[in-house]
Amino acid sequence: MSVARVTPILPVELGAGPFAISTKGLNKRYGSIQALAGLDLDVPEGGVYVLVGPNGAGKTTLLKVLMNLIRFDGGRARLLGLDTRKQGALVRAQVGSVPEDHSAGYEWMRIGRLLEHCSAYYPTWDQEYANRLAAKLEIDLTRRCAQLSKGQARRVQLLLALAHRPPVLLMDEPTDGLDHVARDGMLELLAEHLTDTPTTALISTHRVYEIEKLVDHVGMIRGGRLLAQMPTDVLRSRLRRYSAALPEGWQPNEKDPGGTLTRRAGLGRAMEWTVWGEEEKVVAELSGAGAHLQEITPLSVDDAATALLSTWET
Amino acid sequence: MQVHVDASDSRPIYVQIMDEVRRGLLMGTLRPEDPLPSVRELASGLRINPRTVLQAYAALEREGVVYVRRGQGTFVSPDVEPDEQERPRMALEVARRALTEAQRSGLALDDLLEAFRELSEESPESDGPEGGKV
Repeated sequence: MSVARVTPILPVELGAGPFAISTKGLNKRYGSIQALAGLDLDVPEGGVYVLVGPNGAGKTTLLKVLMNLIRFDGGRARLLGLDTRKQGALVRAQVGSVPEDHSAGYEWMRIGRLLEHCSAYYPTWDQEYANRLAAKLEIDLTRRCAQLSKGQARRVQLLLALAHRPPVLLMDEPTDGLDHVARDGMLELLAEHLTDTPTTALISTHRVYEIEKLVDHVGMIRGGRLLAQMPTDVLRSRLRRYSAALPEGWQPNEKDPGGTLTRRAGLGRAMEWTVWGEEEKVVAELSGAGAHLQEITPLSVDDAATALLSTWET
Repeated sequence: MQVHVDASDSRPIYVQIMDEVRRGLLMGTLRPEDPLPSVRELASGLRINPRTVLQAYAALEREGVVYVRRGQGTFVSPDVEPDEQERPRMALEVARRALTEAQRSGLALDDLLEAFRELSEESPESDGPEGGKV
């Protein structure tokens, strides 16, 4: 049940930077559809930034714009200080990408040959690392690209993204198609990769729980616009669930604490609020109103996104 | 030393790692001059961001619990004693969790205390730092 009367003000500024990726007023229209509508987004250098938002929010469009695979209509986008529109080739050389679709390369090519082919494009290609990744991801180098399943193609894409140790990773649903074991292996690889290689990562996904512990920043977009971006620690401390037992004669609507996003009745006199705000203030408001607080818990990034995106007034 | 972290815990992950190290000291599984796992090992083992591990180790270093040997890694400080305030702090933490659970089940503090008493009579060897067999 949504009760947000006054939408709380969420952070959109991440301080002074430096930012590896920065967009200002980015616009992109496909016919009558406004895919990006003045998007301002900043990814701090060295950050692992997860991008969440409903279908059609503009996540995939943004990732493609950043690699200059599609042109945008207005605004600007910078990646490592480069103008993505004017310096597209330079930008792509700095980026390891796991794209939205699962086509790994030329259909007739064997994976081993594909790796050789791609290695020629990147001066920083680390063949020894590529071999290790292939072993770890259980990639059969003798297969042809056309024979790959969705999950196998994802693994090849991941290898191609990591093996040249790029300063920036752009990943669109990187765990899509991976089984449990492969996904866990990928998370292990990513954690090692981030330790060994200074990397900024921008990851779009609908399943943040899979990568939640790797992520340190979150951005929420909808309708091509940024709703909020912040360090995940801020999200975890500011957005919480408060369960309480209510006193007799409670009139809920008047006594919801400021910043309430949702209120959910439990059994009998139990009530649960999802609130954006400082915990101390919220506790003081609820206690002051006579509620007997029982539990305060942070929300997972997925639950936070659901709470914020579903109550947000457009 | 086994380190566990949980994304749904209300403590930030770096604090959970710090608490795990303190717990290791208290339980005696970590002793002075013992090495901590490398940042790479811990990050990949727990599938967490290596920066989070660095953050935890740096905070522990500032507290004097660990020190860094150049090129060798992070070690428990030679003079570190299990913090005597750590025990009551941890007890408080456990009690808070138990109380929350109890309240959720509609139990009063007295019900809980009574249950504790009953349990400790069943396993008399469990009170004492070495006995931990509950």
